[in-house]
Amino acid sequence: MPSTDKTVAELTGIRCVDIEAALDPAEPDGVYRDSRECAALALTSGTTSLLLSPPTPRPKKG
Amino acid sequence: MEQSGTAALLQGAVQDLSSDVASALRGGGHAPVTGGPEDGITVAAVRVLGADLLLPHLLARTSPPPDTLEAFRLTVKTFPPRADAAPTVVWSHWAMRRTLRRFEQNDGLTPAAGEGAEPDAAWLDGATWQYLTHQLAVLAPLAVPGADSAVARAARGRPVDVARGFVRAVRRRDWQQAAGAGRWLTLLDGVPDTLGLDSGLDFVELMGGSDPRVALQVAAARAMRRSGALV
Repeated sequence: MPSTDKTVAELTGIRCVDIEAALDPAEPDGVYRDSRECAALALTSGTTSLLLSPPTPRPKKG
Repeated sequence: MEQSGTAALLQGAVQDLSSDVASALRGGGHAPVTGGPEDGITVAAVRVLGADLLLPHLLARTSPPPDTLEAFRLTVKTFPPRADAAPTVVWSHWAMRRTLRRFEQNDGLTPAAGEGAEPDAAWLDGATWQYLTHQLAVLAPLAVPGADSAVARAARGRPVDVARGFVRAVRRRDWQQAAGAGRWLTLLDGVPDTLGLDSGLDFVELMGGSDPRVALQVAAARAMRRSGALV
């Protein structure tokens, strides 16, 4: 099956890099929630309050 | 960052497998995985998904289909970690070996090889709670009831830090990290009641559940929470 062989050949060269990147990902930059999400969280949080407490300060860049 | 074509293919294959496993964890069945040597993408995707491929069978105490177990075995053999691989890569492979050995023993097969000595977990010593949570979330496949490891012991020693990390991940909208941390929290003693873990998992699923990898971790957390399991 030439097409399958080609796929394997393409993978052979780079798959270790891709796989290791997937298995050791860097933490993505945070995206802080907006008020609509806060409202959804309030609806789902029931009687708990920890998730709704004021957010931690954003890290300073630079 | 722009992904290579292969990376995108791999990510798609991982998502497909994750979706299948999440469905099985919710009781929706589990299609056999057939990843022979000719199917490089599937074998690579199994490596990325890791031990979680067999989690539904582990929790339900059932044997995986022979084709799935064979694909899993092939993956373990095909992708040994390099000597200088990152700890998460090494631990992920060790978790797969441990899982494979467990099923081979259950099925009366002679294990091809033992899981080997535990890798070093010193990189977690003194880790900040943010980094600890991130690393634990990456290694969520190690969060399995009754499965001890140095990583699990590190998590057990810092339940409040993992809870803080869970909240931080939610606030940062890092749903994959939040789901992985939530899965660990279901297995830990000493998690503050004020965390509201069940509600938090609901929220993570609501916001991030369209990503099959997030859905898998939430489904795993729920399945383990239902069983009342601890590490």
